[in-house]
Amino acid sequence: MAEIPKIVGQRLRAIAEVGEHPDSNLLSAFVERGLGKRERVQVLEHLSQCTSCREIASLSATEVADAAPVVVASPGWTSWPVVRWGAVAACLVVVSAVVTLHHKREPRQMAASIAEVKPATEMLPGPNSAIGKKSASLPLPASNSEAKAGFASKNIASQQKAGPANLEAGNNAAAAPGPVEMADARPSLSQPLSQPEVPGRAKDAFMESQVAQADRTTGGAMAKKRSMLASEVSSDALLPPALIPRWTLSSDGTLQRSLDSGRTWETIPVSNQTTFRALAANGLDIWVGGSGGALFHSSDAGQRWTQVRPVANGEALTDDIIGVEFTDTLHGKLTTSDDESWATADAGQTWQKP
Amino acid sequence: MGKDGVQSVVGLSAGLESVMSDIYQKSRGEEFGLSRGEFDGVLGEIARKYLPADAVQRDLRDLYISLRAEELALARACAAGQERAWEVFLTRYREKLYDIAGYITKESSAGRELADSIYAELYGTTTRDGQRTSKLASYTGRGSLEGWLRTVMAQEHINRYRKQRRLVSLDEETEEGVQFAVAESEAAIAVDPRVEAATDEVLAALPPEDRFVLASYFLDERTLAEIARTLGVHESTISRKVDKLAKSLRKQILAALGRRGMSRRQAHEALEVDVRDLRVNIRSRLAQESGGAAFSKKKAEAPAGEGS
Repeated sequence: MAEIPKIVGQRLRAIAEVGEHPDSNLLSAFVERGLGKRERVQVLEHLSQCTSCREIASLSATEVADAAPVVVASPGWTSWPVVRWGAVAACLVVVSAVVTLHHKREPRQMAASIAEVKPATEMLPGPNSAIGKKSASLPLPASNSEAKAGFASKNIASQQKAGPANLEAGNNAAAAPGPVEMADARPSLSQPLSQPEVPGRAKDAFMESQVAQADRTTGGAMAKKRSMLASEVSSDALLPPALIPRWTLSSDGTLQRSLDSGRTWETIPVSNQTTFRALAANGLDIWVGGSGGALFHSSDAGQRWTQVRPVANGEALTDDIIGVEFTDTLHGKLTTSDDESWATADAGQTWQKP
Repeated sequence: MGKDGVQSVVGLSAGLESVMSDIYQKSRGEEFGLSRGEFDGVLGEIARKYLPADAVQRDLRDLYISLRAEELALARACAAGQERAWEVFLTRYREKLYDIAGYITKESSAGRELADSIYAELYGTTTRDGQRTSKLASYTGRGSLEGWLRTVMAQEHINRYRKQRRLVSLDEETEEGVQFAVAESEAAIAVDPRVEAATDEVLAALPPEDRFVLASYFLDERTLAEIARTLGVHESTISRKVDKLAKSLRKQILAALGRRGMSRRQAHEALEVDVRDLRVNIRSRLAQESGGAAFSKKKAEAPAGEGS
């Protein structure tokens, strides 16, 4: 825990409570961030001096989800719990069906593909395994987008409308002849994302088009890849698609995840020796850094973790990481306790220090 | 928090008149039984409360547009005793009141009691000049009605807690292990006035948000998550801020002591006297502060903490 000289505490406490207290309207607007800059500063100034108002403001602040506008919904078939559990059940059925189908097809594809393993591997981008990693994590954004669709029924409706067109695009991509390059394949991979009539279905459509394309062109290599992707899908399916995880660091530096909009938190064991001090989450992609330059990355909402050891100009990062920012899955920046910045443009494969 | 407020809203420009008309339409005031004249009166009252006397019509317009018009009309119509408004209010907020009270008290029976008591105040059990006064008449639409209810309940909860603590005897306090003021031991430490002045200077130079974070974390012992929730930012942001503040404060105080003629060694020694972890029990502090002048004054002025 950070410490301050005791005199600072004494002087903070000694500051007299001056001026009138902000009324309940201003305090609630402050907590909801509904005040203009001038009024917000005035309220903060008062709060910094007034224990009572700090207590009230803290009690008034609840989770954003709880503070959402009140909607009077009629209970019944379309009520949220029914839709939510229905979606989860449908998802599980679809995933298990896909896994079963893949098992049946496996031997035939294995026999046809052995000779073509090498060329296919060469097609994959070389040392930039970031893209390779991307392929492994490709289904993840799908569940991210599905989750949003799950929360907003309007989105579902619009996506259902867009469904046939996207399916067609997906089929065209699958039928396209010629060798497969992962970079070229990526745009078509995003196509199924916008057609989730049932959460999880998009992943399957994506998987099938990938498999078909791979069978035509690369055979064995992609068959292997397919089994890997299939296992990714099944493990991702363990995470209810309608839930975007929320992350936080506890005061003792452990990573915590919530799958129910912050109502309950579970500690995610990443490293026993590290006190984490900063994190960046982007959908299911999560980076967390802490003491001694320890940096960990997970692209599946914290189910598997990889330690990343940043090295720039032959020098390894050993200072405490106090800030982690990732604008997307590739580009990120670390801030250390010595005010140094380390940047990556390839998901942590290489690092630069300005 | 402008107390003098706008003296008059007469002579409105056509533009402002049109804005007010538009807000009234959006507020569903007519449906709730609130006439246009009554609604305009409410807007005028809010403007007087929050804007200075020399506010221009643009300030009025900005304030009016920022208000939660529909919730404002609903609350004021309820305060005026309109049945239709009460139907809507109860449908929307009855369950919420109990949920919020449960969240604040962390205990179901106390929560129910708090919610019932607030509901009575909202309905208006007190009378002034023979008229029932509803607490909803003090809602001004600056934040959401739900947020306002939460704040009002938090204030009431704290008032009750303090009242309760005052009734607890000294024996019971001792049995419960409640400690009285740590202030005595702190007062015993003689502090060089230059250290106090340097610290005050450094604290005064901090932005109010930083002082709020410091006070919340080190004095109130709030968790990073609680502070983050109050400020509406991520917990890691507060974590970084606390670390940064703890490091920079010491450096800045040392520099300020240097400017006051202390050598580096003297300044270090002055601060090293008592560099300790600050742990103050907020609950006992709240109980001890029950006689706090400003808050008591507020309570006297307006029963559940309507301070201005």
